[in-house]
Amino acid sequence: MAMNPMEQFKIEPIVPLHIGGYDVSFTNQSLVMVAIVAVATLFLSFSVSSRRLVPTRLQSMAELSYEFVQGMIQSAAGNDGMRFFPFVFTLFFFVLFSNFFGLIPGVFTVTSQIAVTFALAALVVLTVIVTGFLKHGIGFLKLFVPHAPLPLLFLLVPIEVISFFTRPISLSVRLFANMLAGHTMLKVFAGFVIALGGAGGILTGLAIAPMLLIVAISALELLVAFLQAYVFAVLTCIYLNEALHLHGH
Amino acid sequence: MSHQTPEPEDLRRLQTRLDEVRRREAAKNPQSAPTPMGVAFRFGTEMIAGIAVGGALGWGIDWLAGTRPVFLIVMFVLGAAAGVLNVMRAAKEMTEQAAKAAKGAPSVPDSEDEE
Repeated sequence: MAMNPMEQFKIEPIVPLHIGGYDVSFTNQSLVMVAIVAVATLFLSFSVSSRRLVPTRLQSMAELSYEFVQGMIQSAAGNDGMRFFPFVFTLFFFVLFSNFFGLIPGVFTVTSQIAVTFALAALVVLTVIVTGFLKHGIGFLKLFVPHAPLPLLFLLVPIEVISFFTRPISLSVRLFANMLAGHTMLKVFAGFVIALGGAGGILTGLAIAPMLLIVAISALELLVAFLQAYVFAVLTCIYLNEALHLHGH
Repeated sequence: MSHQTPEPEDLRRLQTRLDEVRRREAAKNPQSAPTPMGVAFRFGTEMIAGIAVGGALGWGIDWLAGTRPVFLIVMFVLGAAAGVLNVMRAAKEMTEQAAKAAKGAPSVPDSEDEE
């Protein structure tokens, strides 16, 4: 049972709860999410509490992450994209902490659930749509009309509309699949270590090979965890930029 | 504060030195470029998502209008086109980002402080 690499993705209720026929139990996933929010909030509020001109290490970390997200927004969405700074910063930190928390052995990986990543991606796209209509009114629909002769538009407008609605899908699937694949791979190789170790004879010595591989994959997963959070946030900025400035393609 | 307050001039010099070190470090390991698997994953999801959304939209229209399978077929093809469009845009985006990362500007203006 412990050898099943998919076991780690199982959601188990901690406090069973049913409201109006819906299962809204507090699960192991909810617990990790609460922990993520608590740790991120504590880290950021504690690290900037001293407000020194020459920052301590902790304050420096908070300042660097601020500047990192700021640079990301300004390069992708320009200066008026900064009004979405709280949104993008929160999103980036939530995904980043989820990915990092998931790397701690035994901790549930929140972003390995399509329900979570799709909810985040849907939030992004809804924000884009609302912003677009608030800023440009009905003119926001020009986003779907490329510069082309009229007969071609009958073909191109549906393509643009489909392309727009692929965004929440590709955004969420990329994050979810990366985390799912990485963690499954880790568990599969860990299974090899146990199986080889218990085999006896020369095979026991061979168990060191998948063990070394796990170390290497863990390092790679650390990179992937950061990169995927970064990609998620950058794409959010790029989509927001389109809603703000309506670039013709 | 117990120790003396650093002059703005000192801070600026420190920043210039930091920038130099950062640039040297950045030149040493040209990271920031996505891994080949990341690129493949990106393109793969964009393409699949296009086809899936196109197909789903077509199926939905057919279900509403009772015209199965006309729109399913049409939208599936358009969805594939949208997938290709997505991949092309993603590729363009990546090229632009790689070009931007290659430059790398200093975070503080050298001597005059104009902002």
